[in-house]
Amino acid sequence: MKLGDFGTFVIFAAIYAAGTIGLPKISLLAYQVKIGEIPSAFVALFGFPAILGLTLGQFIANLGVEASPIAMLSPVFSFVGLLIIYRSRKFSTLAGCIAYIVITGFWLSVMLPIVKPEVSTSQAAISVFAGQFIAVIVGYLAYLVTARTLSKQGQSSAPQ
Amino acid sequence: MRHAAEQNESQGHVPEYYEHSIWPALIGLGTGVALTGLFLLLKGLIFPGSLLLLLSFGAVLFGFLYHDTKSWASVVSRSFGRIPRDSVLGAFPVDINLTIQIVILTELLLFGGAFGMYFAIRARFAFWPPPGSPILDDFLPRIQTLVLISSSLLIEWAIWQLKRGNVGAFKVGLIGTTILGSLFPILQLGFEWPHLILNNILTPATNFFGASFYLLTGIHGAHVVAGVIAYGYTDIRAFMGQYTAKNHGFVEATATYWHFVHIIWLFLFALLWQGSRLLT
Repeated sequence: MKLGDFGTFVIFAAIYAAGTIGLPKISLLAYQVKIGEIPSAFVALFGFPAILGLTLGQFIANLGVEASPIAMLSPVFSFVGLLIIYRSRKFSTLAGCIAYIVITGFWLSVMLPIVKPEVSTSQAAISVFAGQFIAVIVGYLAYLVTARTLSKQGQSSAPQ
Repeated sequence: MRHAAEQNESQGHVPEYYEHSIWPALIGLGTGVALTGLFLLLKGLIFPGSLLLLLSFGAVLFGFLYHDTKSWASVVSRSFGRIPRDSVLGAFPVDINLTIQIVILTELLLFGGAFGMYFAIRARFAFWPPPGSPILDDFLPRIQTLVLISSSLLIEWAIWQLKRGNVGAFKVGLIGTTILGSLFPILQLGFEWPHLILNNILTPATNFFGASFYLLTGIHGAHVVAGVIAYGYTDIRAFMGQYTAKNHGFVEATATYWHFVHIIWLFLFALLWQGSRLLT
């Protein structure tokens, strides 16, 4: 990892961790929509430093708020999902984002009833998938705007 | 001997008495002796011996200051004299990438030890934080987190501007980062700690949680202060016109150190402030 990449890595970790534990929670049925999930689509632009940063950010966030050791496995599933977003950037970042929602949504639907026994599996699945969908798609729209702006800047600064 | 060395220095050579000083080794040894003395003193063992060990460190420090301070003024004036305004120093004399990697590795070992101590103590308790610990208000730490994220983003933006040749925007970003960075210790030492200690909410003597809290945040705070000093030095060099699109290794090294300090803070915020709510 180059020196410049370390900055990207830390900023993404900070956005996830601070967005999850530092900002007010948005509740959706049994699940709390994580602001930290919004930048997931941006790994298509920033690459591996962003993937590692978001994974570490999730680990730190879980360290602070989750009492159950099983929750500490969540960063592994996120890492796989983020890797798919990154790999799919050449043909469809949106498809990668959907895959990320499916992978993390499936894991959280299994994990949530274990951590919170009062929540049923179906209730957990509905709220988790809806929460992840909202966060990731908002991030995807922001990614589209950023990618187009960067592309326009690149075209305008190209030699005439 | 010294006269000859100064003549060499004026011709661009590093004088021998700066290269082969015995003081760093003596101070390092003295620090070890002082810590042993402090340990014996705190444990109430061999009182005169521990006092003697502490005094011997004081003697080494006094000897260093007496011997070395005489040359500090000339060293500083010569080093600035060698760097005229708007000059570019060229490549850093050593590989800055490797240097900062070694620095980060040593810092990792230090904080690894500190966090290891925290988890070792935590594992001895059935409930953590132990009974009697307060639930810490995280309003100020949230602002501190925001300050650190903003400063990390700003310094990356400043470096990006420098790489594009916008030196003016780079200087604005750098000064902004220094100001944001200095806010962090002001909030910690001016508001957070006095609030906790003077209102008797959490002190180092409260319990193991209190002791670990002040140890970890204290070590981290010292690193933030060091980062702010590094940014101050970087500011001076920036305003002397020493950074260009192709020559900014020191700025990137300072930014990397700053990002590292930032990430340690995220761990502290999660463990100490959010962690203090786990029992609720």
